[in-house]
Amino acid sequence: MQRLIDKFVLDFIEKERWKFITNGLKVTLIVTLLALIIGTLIGIVVGIIRCAHDQQNPSDLRGVKGFLLKALNAVCKLYVTVIRGTPALVQLLIMYYVILITAKSKILVAVLTFGINSGAYVAEIFRGGIMSVDPGQMEAGRSLGLSYVQTMIKIVLPQAFKAILPSLVNEFIALLKETSICGYIGLNELTRGGDIIRGTTFDALFPLFAVALIYLMLVLIISYLSGLLERRLRKSDIR
Amino acid sequence: MISVKNLHKYFGDNEVLRGIDYEIDKGEKIVIVGASGSGKSTFLRCLNLLEQPTSGQIFIDGEEITARGADVDRIRRKMGMVFQHFNLFQNLTILDNITLAPTMLKLQSKDEAVKNAMALLERIGLPDKANAYPSQLSGGQKQRIAIVRSLAMNPEVMLFDEPTSALDPEMVGEVLQVMKELAEDGMTMVVVTHEMGFAREVASKVVFIDEGVIKEENTPQEFFSAPKNPRLRDFLSKVL
Repeated sequence: MQRLIDKFVLDFIEKERWKFITNGLKVTLIVTLLALIIGTLIGIVVGIIRCAHDQQNPSDLRGVKGFLLKALNAVCKLYVTVIRGTPALVQLLIMYYVILITAKSKILVAVLTFGINSGAYVAEIFRGGIMSVDPGQMEAGRSLGLSYVQTMIKIVLPQAFKAILPSLVNEFIALLKETSICGYIGLNELTRGGDIIRGTTFDALFPLFAVALIYLMLVLIISYLSGLLERRLRKSDIR
Repeated sequence: MISVKNLHKYFGDNEVLRGIDYEIDKGEKIVIVGASGSGKSTFLRCLNLLEQPTSGQIFIDGEEITARGADVDRIRRKMGMVFQHFNLFQNLTILDNITLAPTMLKLQSKDEAVKNAMALLERIGLPDKANAYPSQLSGGQKQRIAIVRSLAMNPEVMLFDEPTSALDPEMVGEVLQVMKELAEDGMTMVVVTHEMGFAREVASKVVFIDEGVIKEENTPQEFFSAPKNPRLRDFLSKVL
């Protein structure tokens, strides 16, 4: 017992080693949150473009507008294919060592990588959600004189969002945990913080379990919040 | 006020409309009948460009809406549309369903729109449903609300796409009643329906669409008592 307490003190209290964990947690949260915002924005736009294309009668895709939509759709499809088809770690390394080689901030590299990565998954989630909304909803909005974008924002997206919330939360949880690979570019996030302690004190038990426990708690908080949100969104389902 | 010239519509290789010419004057009540798959719904949906015609022209008040660059959203404000499956906005209350378009398009202030919507709900006897959601209403109630949602935009024409086909039989009457009152108020209406009683009673003209063309058009008396086209005779013998 005393040995365990000694180890605990050595791992976290001595030389304020707990700061590796808290500072790492801060970085993890910043990267996740910013990537989440970027990913959601990309995802909504790409998802809408893919749907706008797929839900058109092919013979209606004529003229400049039709060509533009086809071109945009092709770009979005390529983006989703490439991002989903390669490991996030490889994307992170390419971003760090090839594309953003002059970037000073590792956080920036991580945020962009995970934002772009998450965007591809969120786009597919949104695409599924928008496709699941009855096309009659869009038609009703358009027939009243609302534009495509107005109907999308006021009618279709809110309904799609309710349907996809569980998958969206799933994606956000995956994103949070995926940021643990940032150690590969030397960014001191939560996982690496724990690993640094392990490397200095040669004790693996406490630091790694502490890291695991923190991830678990974060995920529990996210699940709880999404549960609250789901219940609020369900108010139009009362019969 | 609506003028259709040589309208064609393809879905892929399938030619659904094979050249339709038609004129609708202000205040007319046109009832379109025909077998399913005849193209009658497609014709109606072309009138407000929910379906893009493959070729041909449509004029509303002299303005060509099929022209390149025509402001479709503005034209649609003048044309209300009622759907077979009501298509009330599931995520909004009844009141918001009715006020959304007028307020979003800045045609009415929020207060005006709410007042207007409540007056419309009074008219169909459903003011107590203002804060309900569509999922809480019966089919007949939904369709009556869908009708007044369109009316809130003060349209010049109302298009009805089989408005009673998805209703339980006992709810058909209440919806037809609202449509009759609308007709008595002088609204220009184009109605695709299987309700022959409604056609007889309300229509100024009845149109028979078959195989993508208008096969016969006449006043309801003539249309039902002395049909000329053999396909129409066959059709009427099955539905009457």
